[in-house]
Amino acid sequence: MKIALNILQVILLILGAPLVRGIIARCKAFLQRRQGASIWRPYSDLAKLFRKEDLVPPTASGLFRVVPFILFATTICAVAFVPLLHPAALLASRGDFFLFVYLLAIGRFFLSLGAFDGGSAFGGMGASREALISCLGEAPFLLSFVAIAILASHADIAGMVGWTLQQNIFNASAVHILAFTSLAMVVIAETGRMPVDNPTTHLELTMIHEAMILEYSGTRLALIEWASAIKLHAMLALLVALFFPWGMASGTSVGFIPLALLLYCAKLGVLIGLLAMIESGMAKLRMYLVPDFLGVASAVSVLAVVFTFLVKR
Amino acid sequence: MQVVPIEWAFGCLLATLGLVAPLVLMATRGKAARRLAIVLIVGSNVVGCVVAALCFWKESTVLLNFFVFSPFPLAFGIDRLSAFFILLICAVAVPAAIFSVEYFDNHYVEGQRNWVWAFFSLFLASMILVVTASTGFAFLLGWELMTLLTAGLILMEGDSAERRHNVFLYLLMMHAGAAAVIGSFLLFLPFSHGLDFASMRSAGSIMPHGIRTMVFLLAFLGFGTKAGIIPLHIWLPRAHPIAPSPVSALMSGVMLKTAVYGFVRFVFDFLGGGPWWSGYAVLAVGAVTGLLGILYAIAENDLKRLLAYSSVENIGIIFLGLGTSLVFLAHHAPVWAGLALVGALLHAFNHALFKSLLFLGAGAISNGAHTVNLEELGGLQRRMPITGLSMLVACCSIAGLPLFNGFVGEWIIFRSLLAGSVLSSTKAQIVLPLMVGILALIGGLAAACFVKVFGVAFLGRPRSAAAEAAEEVPPAMRVGLSLLASACLVVGIFPGLFLRPLVSLVQVLVPGAGVPLETVSIAQVIPVAAAVVLGAAIAVALLKRRERIARTWACGLPGLTSRMQYTSTVFSKPIRFVFSSAYKPDRTIDRLPTDQPYFPVSVAYRSVRTVSYEKSIYRPFVELFLSAARQLRRMQTGNIQVYLLYIFLTLVSLLAFLRFQK
Repeated sequence: MKIALNILQVILLILGAPLVRGIIARCKAFLQRRQGASIWRPYSDLAKLFRKEDLVPPTASGLFRVVPFILFATTICAVAFVPLLHPAALLASRGDFFLFVYLLAIGRFFLSLGAFDGGSAFGGMGASREALISCLGEAPFLLSFVAIAILASHADIAGMVGWTLQQNIFNASAVHILAFTSLAMVVIAETGRMPVDNPTTHLELTMIHEAMILEYSGTRLALIEWASAIKLHAMLALLVALFFPWGMASGTSVGFIPLALLLYCAKLGVLIGLLAMIESGMAKLRMYLVPDFLGVASAVSVLAVVFTFLVKR
Repeated sequence: MQVVPIEWAFGCLLATLGLVAPLVLMATRGKAARRLAIVLIVGSNVVGCVVAALCFWKESTVLLNFFVFSPFPLAFGIDRLSAFFILLICAVAVPAAIFSVEYFDNHYVEGQRNWVWAFFSLFLASMILVVTASTGFAFLLGWELMTLLTAGLILMEGDSAERRHNVFLYLLMMHAGAAAVIGSFLLFLPFSHGLDFASMRSAGSIMPHGIRTMVFLLAFLGFGTKAGIIPLHIWLPRAHPIAPSPVSALMSGVMLKTAVYGFVRFVFDFLGGGPWWSGYAVLAVGAVTGLLGILYAIAENDLKRLLAYSSVENIGIIFLGLGTSLVFLAHHAPVWAGLALVGALLHAFNHALFKSLLFLGAGAISNGAHTVNLEELGGLQRRMPITGLSMLVACCSIAGLPLFNGFVGEWIIFRSLLAGSVLSSTKAQIVLPLMVGILALIGGLAAACFVKVFGVAFLGRPRSAAAEAAEEVPPAMRVGLSLLASACLVVGIFPGLFLRPLVSLVQVLVPGAGVPLETVSIAQVIPVAAAVVLGAAIAVALLKRRERIARTWACGLPGLTSRMQYTSTVFSKPIRFVFSSAYKPDRTIDRLPTDQPYFPVSVAYRSVRTVSYEKSIYRPFVELFLSAARQLRRMQTGNIQVYLLYIFLTLVSLLAFLRFQK
């Protein structure tokens, strides 16, 4: 039963990912007073890409060809750490958040390498910018986890979520607020959303993620796009699970699962709405202002860790 | 069960590496004798791995005593710590030696080859001496030989004025460090019967607090110099890149670890932990070393210099682990102290594997493309597939990605830092968890740095004719590379193989260290994650797809040239910009002709790092030293009567001293 639920979570995270993207795009369209595409559009995009042929640059080595597979596989593996409906996940009890963060880093590492293989300036440009953002984002990413882990005395994500679940929602301390702020900022940077990166642009002055995947097409592009959608969904799910887990099915009774799913969708919807508002309301930051953005996230996460010892008293 | 006693096997190992192989090489010329010696060297290192593995599980120390044969206290012993480091040395030496067979043939003329091999063998022997010595004399003998032999190997590679200067600096720093090490040995003397390790160990606990502090400081200084902690690192990026690549591999991968061995031996084994602040001091030094090391590495374009700076960074990570362990020891939390020590030692082992692989890879690149300047490389993956694949494994490992070995050690250090929050002292509660952020930043920068290395050197288009004409290296070199690469993968995917022995080693060093649950869960989850990743990757790779070669998008222009690719310099630009306070760059842009600023014929751009430890830290000391020497010169008149007067005065003062002492 528990294992079935864990597998259901992974499937939900993977298959629901394009829908999350579709809803974000629709929300943005609504806020910008546009008609907007259907929320199911990302699925048909993926289906179209899966049917198309792969174009490979003449300079590319074997690495270029395997990068999408590695990215997709590591993303799926990382997803198996995220609790969704109940405070457990397929791998969450053995592995901890360090493994989760660094599994995502594998994909990023290889994606940056794949970018180089096209032999054009765009790939290197994207990789270089991604390198800056990801190396500055790593510290606040881990530190905001650390803050929660110290409070929960658990390093595994499931344990952290389980601990939060037992707390009273009104007891949320400053640590939670700070860690949430910092983690949310990191999520925006890591998943390449505004104001750090614009997922809808192809302007060489600003693009980061798009510059790296410029040479990919067909099945491989589909896998990359899907993987980044899964990553976005997993990160949002993680924010929900770590900071607003109330409503998760704590027992094993079947009846709670639809309720948990419904509540999850509602919570995710709120986060998506917030993300859409941020994306519509803010201009993209200049490249060299991004370190400031992540600097603020780092400072906030440092404060979160420092305050844990006051809270623990 | 045992056919040959371990003592004999170990004695043969030392004798072969230190005497037989070098003698054969020096006495003879020609290929046949060299082949024999090489077989001896490789074989004895394999024996070394076996000896280390066997000694590891023996409760008692394996002793080899030469008191009878030599007037000096020369004795060797292998306990678990020594066995671990013998394994580290021999496991790297085997692939390095196999790699060198063709590398030395390609890089030296016939007259030199035997000598290079002789020094190579002696160098390996000297490192084994250091980690197995059980008297101060034997330790210092090996310590000194190690320095001199590497200096010899560096000088054999060439003989320019710059090289001699670098070697001089290397020797100078090493001897300054050795002086501190000797000092910390001598401080034991009033409290122990001799300088054998057993009596030093028992003296360690009865020494007064002040002396213990002095010993700790001197050991930290001395071994820190050898390890290359910032600001004592200045010799490292000068000496390591100019050695022949297999020797650089051993210097960076293995020789630096002898300093880690020395530090652990002194501070954990002899002293059983330093003063209360020692952990914080080591942590701070480790953090600074790691951060600045990787920042300097990422700014380099010369691959071997970049790797040398990255060794500085990894030493920083190891010292972060050691510092964490000391903090826990000071707070009487032996379980966590043990965990942090496991992390530090495992990272030392992992760094030995992947850093030697990287240096051997740099040797392969220089063999294939005749340069290690990243700006002239590119597209090597298609031309040197095996070298490329091995380098990819090494780059992933050093970037600390899971499923590769670099991650495991860092993960354990992360977990022990996180555990700092359970300590009672507020200082530790705040400092240790915050160090997670520093280590994360170091890891992120390392990932960026090695994306640059692999991306620029191996992917895209070749940036020079030499890179265009690069060829895959000969088979023995490929064997050396692949051996190390597979070792990295094995440790990365099955860390349990190494964690269990390491835990039992640490239980000897840190009394009370249990088997931390973390190591168990790590050993369990990584193979599962690897299976998931591999399975998923294969599943999606089997998806039906059609493939066509098509030109890279060039914004509609006719074609791309290699000059249009991102270069190594520009890749690191954003990071250098953000962290410019660590470099304080001095930039000059020369546009020609000067009267037409908007239509230049040529533009020259130069950016120099102005943060110089030589200028800001070492220069004042040198000045002080020189002025003191100038003052002393007044005494040296060259007049024999004056010297006789000095002798007489000395005699009188000594007699007076004796008189008043009574």
